[in-house]
Amino acid sequence: MSMLSSVAERLYWMSRYLERTQDTARLIQAYNHLIMDIPKGAEPPWDIMIDILDAQPLFRSRFKAGSEQNVLKFLIADEKASCGIPFAVRAARENVRTTRDVLPEEAWELVNELHLFVEAHAGNASGRRNRHDFLSEVISRCQMVNGLLGASLPRDHAYGFIKLGRLVECADMTTRIMDVGAGDIMERAGRFGAIDPLLWGALLQALSAAAAYRREVGPIIEKDAALNFIFLSSTFPRSIKYFVRETRKELMRLNNNDLAIRSVERLRRRLNRLDAEHFTSGELHDYIDDFQQQLTSLDAAIQATWFSWENA
Amino acid sequence: MSKPWRRYSTGRFFDELITDGGSPRVAARRAVNFFKGLSAGELQARRAAAELAIKEMGISFTVYTEGENIDRAWPFDMIPRVISAREWSGVSQGLAQRTRALNCFIDDIYNRQQILADGIVPADIVLGSDNYKAQCEGVSPRFGAWAHICGSDLVRDHRGRFFVLEDNLRVPSGVSYMVENREITKRAVPELFKNYSILPVDDYPLKLYEMLTALSPRAAKRPNIVVLTPGIYNSAYFEHAFLAQGMGAELVEGTDLTVGDDDCVYMRTVDGPVRVDVIYRRIDEDFMDPEAFRPESVLGVPGLMRAWRSGKVAIANAPGSGVADDKVIYAFVPDMIRYYLNEKPLLDNVPTYLCMRERDREHVLKNIAKLVVKPANESGGYGIMVGPHSSAAQHRKFARLIEKDPRNYIAQPTLSLSTAPTYFEGKVQPRHLDLRPFILQSKNTWVTPGGLTRVALRKGSLVVNSSQGGGSKDTWIVEGKA
Repeated sequence: MSMLSSVAERLYWMSRYLERTQDTARLIQAYNHLIMDIPKGAEPPWDIMIDILDAQPLFRSRFKAGSEQNVLKFLIADEKASCGIPFAVRAARENVRTTRDVLPEEAWELVNELHLFVEAHAGNASGRRNRHDFLSEVISRCQMVNGLLGASLPRDHAYGFIKLGRLVECADMTTRIMDVGAGDIMERAGRFGAIDPLLWGALLQALSAAAAYRREVGPIIEKDAALNFIFLSSTFPRSIKYFVRETRKELMRLNNNDLAIRSVERLRRRLNRLDAEHFTSGELHDYIDDFQQQLTSLDAAIQATWFSWENA
Repeated sequence: MSKPWRRYSTGRFFDELITDGGSPRVAARRAVNFFKGLSAGELQARRAAAELAIKEMGISFTVYTEGENIDRAWPFDMIPRVISAREWSGVSQGLAQRTRALNCFIDDIYNRQQILADGIVPADIVLGSDNYKAQCEGVSPRFGAWAHICGSDLVRDHRGRFFVLEDNLRVPSGVSYMVENREITKRAVPELFKNYSILPVDDYPLKLYEMLTALSPRAAKRPNIVVLTPGIYNSAYFEHAFLAQGMGAELVEGTDLTVGDDDCVYMRTVDGPVRVDVIYRRIDEDFMDPEAFRPESVLGVPGLMRAWRSGKVAIANAPGSGVADDKVIYAFVPDMIRYYLNEKPLLDNVPTYLCMRERDREHVLKNIAKLVVKPANESGGYGIMVGPHSSAAQHRKFARLIEKDPRNYIAQPTLSLSTAPTYFEGKVQPRHLDLRPFILQSKNTWVTPGGLTRVALRKGSLVVNSSQGGGSKDTWIVEGKA
């Protein structure tokens, strides 16, 4: 059975917003762990998270100082911040609300409960004491939705567009974290040499890559291996290589896929030429900048072809 | 007897569960005893469980107030209304009979107009009505069925007799709440289901699917059925989604559909255009096609009427069905039953005064303080005046309205609506209610076992509409001796 373009679009965005919720929660979690281990004065500033999410203008329009309290309030409790958790959860819920007929019945209940949970607890969760429990709960509720969809959705268009949304959002977040987070660690190289492994470890945590890295590479975390793993691991589901491969696979199942396939092929060629181990921070930034542009054009190709019927 | 039921009195009304003598009715005995056996604390806990279920299931409806949409949780009372299957069977036959006659009427009106020629129904009140759509003249939908989904409102008087209050033939809503109410009741009082044989209601979407499938212009095993909704901001959007999902059909908005040069209707999909066979229309006909009706409508699909008239797509309910959904036409339904079916009406109408008739009008104006006055062409409980509950100024206002536009008003005696025990603020008290069963008609006629019971939550109130502070209850049709 085919699928309405408008429904495909909502599923894609539902999936992106759920992934965004989970990724933002992980990012905050990882930073939190890190901050407790690092000697005072050596830690990256709190608003590095705002840089990662590319939200400085919006953040500065609300808060003067990039303090812990302000950054967390912005990301956890501000309903209008489009990069924050309450906004993403609400947007995911609105999209599920209008696609209930193609999803398993429990999908709406789970997403609605996630929304109710965030609405009830976000106000008290920006302080250090409740933060951890809140974020863990948000992450596990997102995982429940993913689990439900993975276990019960037929592998048809609904699943395809949900998967595409997740892949695109995840690649977006991974590259943002690499750009700002890895860039920050590389720029400070040498100044606080002793804590570098801690920072790389936190970075892997934020990408939920720590355990996979240890198994595939080993317990010693250092720059070249970490970069290589995040970009080129062929088994880790949040790596860039995995993203490109799986996205291509999903696109191949769809009709009229020329535009989107061309876009993903460009990403693949760039990735094949990548020598991640010898990046300087400047090279990394340029590479990711270019990657982000290609990602944007892939997203535009998906929207134009299957959602808005621009070339129909 | 535990405290919450203290001083439960049926008064001068017919109570659905309790007899005048204060004992439970036979069919309701187990349910009443069960609830009476619960302490105040236990009742409160059950209610909390029901509320949690409603919140988690996301059952809501939208209310429009001062330009704002507010999503409210569905107000629900957990004490079910119980009716014996034997009593229901008679009501059900009466409803099927009524719907058949109404469809004969609509088909007649848009084709031969025999009933007008024979003087059974005055031609001017039909042809002069806003609900008569000239665009539908000469169309003969399959099986002569126009109003495929009918929601008729039933009330009981003080002796417990059922009357039909009105027939909703345009886009009747509420059926999803009938199904969900059963689900909530199962979660709130699961023990109660052990000893009862209750007719299931959750097969409604399947029956709807079968009815719609029979309408398909193409012979396909699984025709393409869509539910056409005005969108997320419609008060019944929840129900549109619920029914689409229950039927495995697509939930579409006007922008998802196009009508091709071949007069076929197509939906925009990720694989390109796909032909649609049957449209379950949940959007008012005035908005469904800017080419044929209101040109400013952005909710509709240009060309939809063209597609329907040429038989390339079936639409339920058919456009124009509203001609029989009018409180003046209502008064003639018993005559239609005799005229088209040559049968005696099994269900009674509420006695109705038509203000367009001089003698009726005089009676209404003289007795306005005792009567309920309704505009002929409104739904949702809007514009109604309940004489005994209104001020002298309101009586005068409605008298003026009637004199100005008598065709548009009817009046009925104030009914002593039946009551049922309802849990409210820690006590179980009688509250007034009505019942909306749903009747499906295409190849066959089918009536829901029970329907949606709506209850006026405020003490003494007769207004049960959810948009005006009404709630609802599960409705049980029970078999055998309880």
